[in-house]
Amino acid sequence: MTNSIAEIEDAACVFIIGSNTSTSHPLIARRVLRAKEKGAKLLVADPRAIQMSHFADVAVNQRLGSDVALLNGMMHLILKNGWEDRDFIKARTEGFEELKETVAAYTPQRVQEISGVSPADLEKMSEIYATRRPATLLYTMGITQHTTGVDNVKSVCNLAMLTGNVGVASSGVNPLRGQNNVQGACDMGGLPNVFPGYQQVANPEANAKFTKAWGRPLPDKPGRTLPDMITAMSEGKLKALYVIGENPKLSDPDANHLKHAFNNLELLIVQDLFLSETAQGAHVVLPAASSAEKDGTFTNTERRCMRLRQAIKPLGNCLPDWEIASRLATAMGYPMSYRNAEEIFREMAALTPSYAGMSYERLGIDGLHWPCPTADHPGTKFLHPVQFTRGLGKFHAVQYQDPRELPDAEYPYYLTTGRMFAHYHTGTMTRVSPALDREQPTGYVEINPQDAFKLKVREGEVLVISSPRGRIEAPAKISPEMLPGNLFLPIHFGENPTNVLTNSEALDPLAKIPEFKVSKARVEKLVE
Amino acid sequence: MYRLVPSVCSYCGTGCGVLFEVLDGQLLKTLPLKTHPVNQGKLCIKGWNLHEFVNSRMRLQSPLLKVNGRFHDVTWNRALQFTAEKLKGIIEKYGPDSVGVLVSAKITNEENYLLQKFARAVVGTNNVDHCARL
Amino acid sequence: MKDKVRDWLETGKVDLFLGYKQVDGHPLPHAFSKENLAELGELIVSPARYALEKLATEILAIKPALKIGILGRDCNQRAVNVLTVHQQISPGQIQILEVNCCPSPLRKHAACSTLQPQTYGAVKLELGVDNNMSVAQMDQFDQESLYSRWMYEFQKCLKCYGCRDICPVCFCKECSLENNDLVATGGLPPEVPLFHLIRAVHMAGRCVDCGLCEEACPVDIPLRLLYRKVNGIVKDLFGYETGGSHEQPPFSLLGESTPPEAEPHSKAV
Repeated sequence: MTNSIAEIEDAACVFIIGSNTSTSHPLIARRVLRAKEKGAKLLVADPRAIQMSHFADVAVNQRLGSDVALLNGMMHLILKNGWEDRDFIKARTEGFEELKETVAAYTPQRVQEISGVSPADLEKMSEIYATRRPATLLYTMGITQHTTGVDNVKSVCNLAMLTGNVGVASSGVNPLRGQNNVQGACDMGGLPNVFPGYQQVANPEANAKFTKAWGRPLPDKPGRTLPDMITAMSEGKLKALYVIGENPKLSDPDANHLKHAFNNLELLIVQDLFLSETAQGAHVVLPAASSAEKDGTFTNTERRCMRLRQAIKPLGNCLPDWEIASRLATAMGYPMSYRNAEEIFREMAALTPSYAGMSYERLGIDGLHWPCPTADHPGTKFLHPVQFTRGLGKFHAVQYQDPRELPDAEYPYYLTTGRMFAHYHTGTMTRVSPALDREQPTGYVEINPQDAFKLKVREGEVLVISSPRGRIEAPAKISPEMLPGNLFLPIHFGENPTNVLTNSEALDPLAKIPEFKVSKARVEKLVE
Repeated sequence: MYRLVPSVCSYCGTGCGVLFEVLDGQLLKTLPLKTHPVNQGKLCIKGWNLHEFVNSRMRLQSPLLKVNGRFHDVTWNRALQFTAEKLKGIIEKYGPDSVGVLVSAKITNEENYLLQKFARAVVGTNNVDHCARL
Repeated sequence: MKDKVRDWLETGKVDLFLGYKQVDGHPLPHAFSKENLAELGELIVSPARYALEKLATEILAIKPALKIGILGRDCNQRAVNVLTVHQQISPGQIQILEVNCCPSPLRKHAACSTLQPQTYGAVKLELGVDNNMSVAQMDQFDQESLYSRWMYEFQKCLKCYGCRDICPVCFCKECSLENNDLVATGGLPPEVPLFHLIRAVHMAGRCVDCGLCEEACPVDIPLRLLYRKVNGIVKDLFGYETGGSHEQPPFSLLGESTPPEAEPHSKAV
């Protein structure tokens, strides 16, 4: 997030696009509703009529994968009506002319053809977003999990810059991160191309710095992303995989293809709390301590680094992941001997400029927002007040492209995937919780009442959903939240493995994110 | 005997402050940390039940090694020795880039730091990623 | 206060004392005991309220032989009375060291604590219900307006169950909110208005007006006001003041000896 969570409450406009905020980030939905009750206008663009849509001043259901057209259409109207922030554009950005030229072609009529959003709604949204300032924009995987994920993100950034909604309190472009420490995992260099603090592995200076700190020559060619690793596994080029706290067999697209890739491995090491679908196929499984059983820090979606503190001893023979990593490194001939997590934090902070001013003592309970470069720096609530990381903010003119798959005669439905409120990701943590299991014990497929009527299917009857990749079964959940012709599958349930249906070849070319949010599918009533 | 330990929820990216209720070394319950700047004393259904996955009987408790298609409980020394030797063998035979490490959005910063250091400095590969996209 | 707690712990009047201490700028509940008397210097009264009697009841469920002292306001005392009435604890198992009180129609103290009424946005006041309203003020809305205002509030619900989970007098092993025949599962918001009305009915003769439910609500539903309304009805109809004494509530007639549901009238049809 460019801005912090609390700032949302004081926005004059909140624009939610591609985020089912009340199910996936309930305590952020709180801030949105508070903002709304203080007088902010709420805009919700989502292919489903979600809970937040009911509170919106304008709620639209854009066709799956049509976000670039919708956003370009908003910018078209903003420019047409002179609602743009000319001072901001002039002082802080470049590439405006090209953007202007591109969005000129996105007339309300054309946007309606692509996205299904009416010109009247588009006009209202554009006016509210551009004129009610500060406006904050919230999004999640509904924007990113597309073959055009990067284009979508560029488009939301364009919209925010066009209206000067960056670098000011309660404005900004705010991706809500889905996992407790996905921000931290990225910050810590859990990516193929960067060391901690986004220092490039290919940058000779950065490489030399870490080579010196770690006492080993380090590779300077960026490594493989997760989807590339899976390809390399199927091609027999990647022989060993060490998986920590993840369940790719359920979370990654095209599960059948994935199974073959995993079978090619000579060594699969899985480190987890549970014997997940992925762990079941491992050669060796290392039992890790839970977050209640260790010290450490998490960095949340607003870049706030916070301490967790050990409450109880690790269960059985479990060890914290840091201790397992230290022992394994030592066994491999690279001695690591940390006494506690704080020692590791100190080593990391010394090498990571954005965390350099942090210490356990300073973090306390409230934590600190990075960048926090020095020991007396108060942390940074919102980014880019004076300039962007690269200096001027660049408008990236983006043309709309269809999703990789659109419904056809054989697969006439749109299929999308996501989370429901009582479960989390692949369900390893939530499905073993009695309270959460009670709330939703099985998987399901959400379907519009008209479609259910056509299929003569009643609530709870089993449907067979198929795509070019495979087929699964799931009980029907008839929901007016769904548009006709659309299906929704939650991702949490191993016995209804949604990702048997999704497409591993439909990736964003740059971010390599799979297009989980749009597949074509067919649905039939199960004939027993 | 009885303690309340401040911590952070480990589900979504919001980062709500929680208090773990601990009696005689057992996790009893989860409470919202009332004065926390992120969640202001409120939680969602997952946060309120955060202790339940920790206390699950499905948790792994011992390192497991697969022999002839079946898992067996082994000691840490055995598990780590096996892993280290196999990994070293694969690195020697196919090179460090034949190894991939998937770090995690669920573990701490310290652990992510250490595991990418493990991949880069110990294995010698930049094949490091995690499920940020998923 | 500190001397009194020291005395209670040293003389064995209580084995454990739940108060508060400051940790990194946050007042957190803390257990003081004979073994850590030195920590008593850090004992504080907290502006942030936790249901210490609920924590004590949870400990007593596992260790029934203990005697536990808590720092408490009048609402904590009422909750302890209700817990005693419903035989969740025995008289004397929880001792309260009284501190100043927050405003409640049920309070005995005149003095208030540091708690300030929250302020709410203008749109909420227009569409929903002001949490600071009294029952008498609320009753002045006409039926239609009341209905739409409460529906607005209930539609925000995120089904965290925080109102129940934080409640010092919610101790049922089987909760009606989790009865699939009463409330459907799996969706947001939970069935409107059933979920909230079921809870409201169960708060009649039970709610001690501590307001912790409302403080735990992520979307500011005026739960305290709702339960004040139902408790007002109980008071008017039965003259029963919840938490005021160890007297059985009017609803204790129901249960084992009297079926909670009316006999079916199938023959009369």
